[in-house]
Amino acid sequence: MKRWDLVVIGAGPAGLSAAIEAAEAGMSVIVFDENKKPGGQLFKQIHKFFGSKENHAGVRGIEIGQMLLEKAQKDHIQVELDSAVIGIAKDRSVSVRKDGQTREVQGQNILIAAGASERTLPFPGWTLPGVIGAGAAQTMMNLYGVRPGKKILMIGSGNVGLVVSYQMLQAGCQVAAVVDAAPRIGGYGVHAAKLARNGVPFYLSHTVIRAEGDGAVKSVTIGQVDSSWNIIPGTEKTFDVDTVCMAVGLDPMSQLARMAGALIEEKGGLVPTVDEYGQTSLPGIFAAGDVAGIEEASSAMLNGEIAGLRAAFKSGYIDEETFRTEYKKKKAALGDLRKGTFSPENKGRTDLTLTSEGLPLSENLFEKGFLTDEEVTKYPGVIKKAGVHPVIECTQNIPCNPCQEACAFGCIEVGEDITALPRINPQADCRNCGKCVAMCSGQAIFLVDEEAGCVTIPYEFDPIPEEGEMGTALGRDGSPLGQAEIIKVRKSPAFDHTALVTMRVDKTLAMKARAYSRKTFSE
Amino acid sequence: MKTYGSDRGFSGEAFVPKEDDDVIICRCEEITRGEIRKAIYDGMRTISEIRRYLRPGMGPCQGMTCERNVRGILARETGLPLSQIPGYRPRSPQRPVTLAELGNESEEEGGGV
Repeated sequence: MKRWDLVVIGAGPAGLSAAIEAAEAGMSVIVFDENKKPGGQLFKQIHKFFGSKENHAGVRGIEIGQMLLEKAQKDHIQVELDSAVIGIAKDRSVSVRKDGQTREVQGQNILIAAGASERTLPFPGWTLPGVIGAGAAQTMMNLYGVRPGKKILMIGSGNVGLVVSYQMLQAGCQVAAVVDAAPRIGGYGVHAAKLARNGVPFYLSHTVIRAEGDGAVKSVTIGQVDSSWNIIPGTEKTFDVDTVCMAVGLDPMSQLARMAGALIEEKGGLVPTVDEYGQTSLPGIFAAGDVAGIEEASSAMLNGEIAGLRAAFKSGYIDEETFRTEYKKKKAALGDLRKGTFSPENKGRTDLTLTSEGLPLSENLFEKGFLTDEEVTKYPGVIKKAGVHPVIECTQNIPCNPCQEACAFGCIEVGEDITALPRINPQADCRNCGKCVAMCSGQAIFLVDEEAGCVTIPYEFDPIPEEGEMGTALGRDGSPLGQAEIIKVRKSPAFDHTALVTMRVDKTLAMKARAYSRKTFSE
Repeated sequence: MKTYGSDRGFSGEAFVPKEDDDVIICRCEEITRGEIRKAIYDGMRTISEIRRYLRPGMGPCQGMTCERNVRGILARETGLPLSQIPGYRPRSPQRPVTLAELGNESEEEGGGV
């Protein structure tokens, strides 16, 4: 049996990060992945990531995946694809199926980084063709360029549901509604706001009653639920859609850890109990990424690095001091990502009312996906000022700070606490460069000149509007506000495929217009 | 009406059919919510017992899709929290393997470390 210092199961963000960390310490590393392409879910993530500037915030998932792969290649890490790990034993031997063969390899250390599978919501009609998982929708759109359907209803308002709904709009699908049984939108308000201003309605405290169709989905009926999750009679609403997309959570793929005999606990799914370095109850068997608990890819990468680092230390490849120093850095970065309104400890809470600054969290944003015109003025990213200036509609404590780096002129401050709401420095001079607009992962920054009635918005739909064209300015709730003239369109490698579109609207609409439709405006 | 001990979190009421009983829970083996609920009333109180009795989680996906939902049904019917309901016991092979693949084990000696 061939032996390796580290056998990694899963070539996603956690697995690759661990492999790189271990290989750079000098370990012999092999990575198995059952898919034909490495990168896990990263190559389906076409949106810019949140987080700190040091941890790739503002960079699209697909590019982070590419960076990891290049690093792995540079480190000569053996990544075996189309290779399913079908079994694992306590003695740290794993069975792999590849090319019509099975074989066994042994690891001095094993990292289980198999990711997660999608949860399902079994409702009448859920087995009809046209009912799909959000992951399937992403695979179709972002890997194969296939539109999952023409008109879609999304179940689930967590970040996955919100991000995939937006990608569906980008793919040219119509999103009829986003539905969630919870009373509040589960994902980031900024993700919800991108949908709302493009006309997608939210139905909170609603669930699916049934999907219907002869051989394929033709319609779906939802209804409002009461506090004990029963449908309130008379609240049923039917949508004619050809696709129902489920984004109702992920289940850690902990089967291999369970098979090996690791201690298991229920933590929003069955996960192996791990110590602070990701080691399971079985010495030398680690778990990182979604297997050890569902989190964002940025956290998965850091958890993977920590596990790789720990394995390198335990196997004698790095000394204790190096280990301690590196671990401390990574732990601090991980701690940053786990703070704020959506931290693991706040998960599922519906009673938060204030930001860490003591400002009211918008109930409207939680329930409908947009801030009202009045609410938006209460936050530190929104000031009144002559001339062009950034307006940052970032109102929840999300661990993210690329906007601060984006502005070379000191207009934007986040500070030490990465979850703090960005503040505008009224003394600094905005040069209208637009970098903050393009850099904001939440697309929550706009450049506004109230006197001139000019609003610059980030734009990620095809086709990009042309200078001189006339269309409709849309409000935060997606309602048509008035005529908009496109006066400037900026594209730059620095903006990474986000176009900056400047529209001229009636002066009174400058603080209201936040999206653009190419349709002609009519009263 | 059978009465079961409360030690396994079940009070022993009679089985009452529900409207969504015909919804499929395990797609691989085509097992419905009603069949699973009925199995609980027939005395199957752990996911492993249900698995042996009805075969959910025994198909190609090995319970990857239905495990959470079967656990959820068990939790609701028995009144136990999810934390007290273990999952299926995963066994090798975790992915469908042909007999030819199993018979064709490659010998790979030494190397690595």
